[in-house]
Amino acid sequence: MPKVTFVASDGTRTDVDTQAGTCAMRTALGQNVTGIIGECGGAMACATCHVYVDADWVEQVGPRKDGEIDLLEFAASEMKDESRLSCQIEITDALDGLVLHLPEAQI
Amino acid sequence: MLSTSARAPIDETITLEQLTLDPYPTYKRLRAEAPVMRVKSVGRTFLTKAADTKRVKEDPVTFSSNDPHTPMKKAFQATTLMRKDGKEHMRERMAMMSALMPKTIVEVWQPLYRDIVAEYLDRLPRGEIVDFHKDISDPVAARILAHILGIPEASDADMQRWSQTLIDGAGNFGNLPGPFADSDRANAEMNKVLAAATERLKATPDRSALSVMVNAEDPIPYSQIVANIKIAVGGGINEPRDALSTILFGLLTNPDQLEAVKAEEKWGAAFEEGVRWCAPIQVSSRLVTEDTEIRDCFIPKGDVVMTIQASANHDEELFEHPEKFDAFRASNPHQSFGGGPHHCAGTHVSRRTVGQVMLPMLFERFPNIELPDPSAVMWRGFGFRGPINLPLRLA
Repeated sequence: MPKVTFVASDGTRTDVDTQAGTCAMRTALGQNVTGIIGECGGAMACATCHVYVDADWVEQVGPRKDGEIDLLEFAASEMKDESRLSCQIEITDALDGLVLHLPEAQI
Repeated sequence: MLSTSARAPIDETITLEQLTLDPYPTYKRLRAEAPVMRVKSVGRTFLTKAADTKRVKEDPVTFSSNDPHTPMKKAFQATTLMRKDGKEHMRERMAMMSALMPKTIVEVWQPLYRDIVAEYLDRLPRGEIVDFHKDISDPVAARILAHILGIPEASDADMQRWSQTLIDGAGNFGNLPGPFADSDRANAEMNKVLAAATERLKATPDRSALSVMVNAEDPIPYSQIVANIKIAVGGGINEPRDALSTILFGLLTNPDQLEAVKAEEKWGAAFEEGVRWCAPIQVSSRLVTEDTEIRDCFIPKGDVVMTIQASANHDEELFEHPEKFDAFRASNPHQSFGGGPHHCAGTHVSRRTVGQVMLPMLFERFPNIELPDPSAVMWRGFGFRGPINLPLRLA
C-alpha cells in the first residue's frame, strides 16, 4: 500500500496510506488532511488542490496534464515549477513514499 | 442488473409554493424517507443527499448540463457555457477565467471593491433603519460585477433588471410570452452596451472578462463572448447579494458568534457558513444520458435529476445541527459552489469580496449594527434563495 506524506506550510507532516489508482487529492480528502479542498472533485475547474511536489519526486510524478497549467495560474498561492493539481497526480506503487508540500492557501 | 431496480417513488403533494416559502422541512423529510424522489409539481427527480448531489455534479458524462428542453436558450438567445459539456465548455470557460482568478482579484477587483463599498456605505444614514438588502447587498453586487465583466457604463439598475429578466426568462418553463418579450428587450439593450464596450476595450484593453475575451490571441466566437457575459450577468448578482444578506442575518442573530468572528477575524468562516446555511443557488438540473441507478433507484436515460445542494448542505451525515448557523464548524464541506466542470467560476471573487472585504469593512465602520426585528426578514426562493429584505440599524 503506497504511503504519501503531506507537508503543511507550517512544516507539519502527515503520513497517510493510500492505494494505487486513486489520486493525491482524494488521498488527502479521504484522510482529512487539511490544506487541500478539491472543491470541484477533480474536474480541473477550481484550483483548490494545489500542491508543490517535493524536489526529490518531481521526476517520478511526471509532467503536468493537458490544461493543468491554465488552472495552476488561477491558484491562490504562487505557482512554482513543481506546482501540480493533486487531482491530476495518479497514485501508483512507484510513488510509494511521495512527499507533497501544501501551499499557504487554496482559496 | 439495472432493470431489476424500481423507479424512484413519486410525490404528488409537494408544491412549488411550499418550496418557495421554506423548502428545508421538505428536504429534511426527503433525506430521511426518500432521498431519490420524483416530484411531480417540479417534473424532476430530486436528489437530497450530499453524496448523490456530489456524484452527479462530478460525472458530466452520465449527467449532462446540455438539456435542450430548458427555456434558457430562448432567454439568452444562445446556448451559454452553462449548458455545454466537455471541451467546448472548457474552452469557453477558460476564455474568461483570467478575469476571475485570485491574482487579478487581489490586484484589480479587491481595491476597486473596497472603494465601491466605502462609497455605498457612506450614503447610508447612521442610527436609522435601512433596508440593507436593497441599499447595499443588491447594488454593490451589481456594481462590482459590471466592472469585472467590462461594462461599467451599465448602471446598477440596468444590471439588476437584466439579471432578473434573464433569470425569469430562463425559468419560464410555462413558455409564457411575457418573460421572453422582456428578455428579448434586455438582450437588445445588452447587445448594444457590449458592442460599444468591445470597441472601447479593443482600443484600451483592461483585465475585465470582456476585455480578455475579445483581445485573446485565439478568441471564441463573438456570439459566445456575448452569451457568456450574459450568463454572468444572470448568475452574478443574486448570489453575492443573497450570500451577504444571509451571512449578516446569521451573525446578527447569533451575537456571541459575531463577537468571536470579530475577535478572531474569522470572516472567511462566517462567509462559508452563510453560504452553507442557505445556499444562494439551491438546486441545479442535469439531463441523464444513459440508464443509471442512484441509491437503488433506476434512473432512465432522458430523465432530469435535480441536485438539491441546499439539502446536501444540511445532510445530517456531514453536518451536526445543520439547521443552525454556526461559523465555528470544525469542517464545512458545503456544495454551494457546485462541483465538477461547472464549479462556480465566481467562487474566488465572492470569497475575496464579500468574505474578505465587505464583512470586515462593514463591522469596522458600524461596530454596533442591529437587526431590531429578525422576524421582519422574509426569505423566499426555490431555485435561488435568500432574504428579500434586511432592516438594519447602522451604528
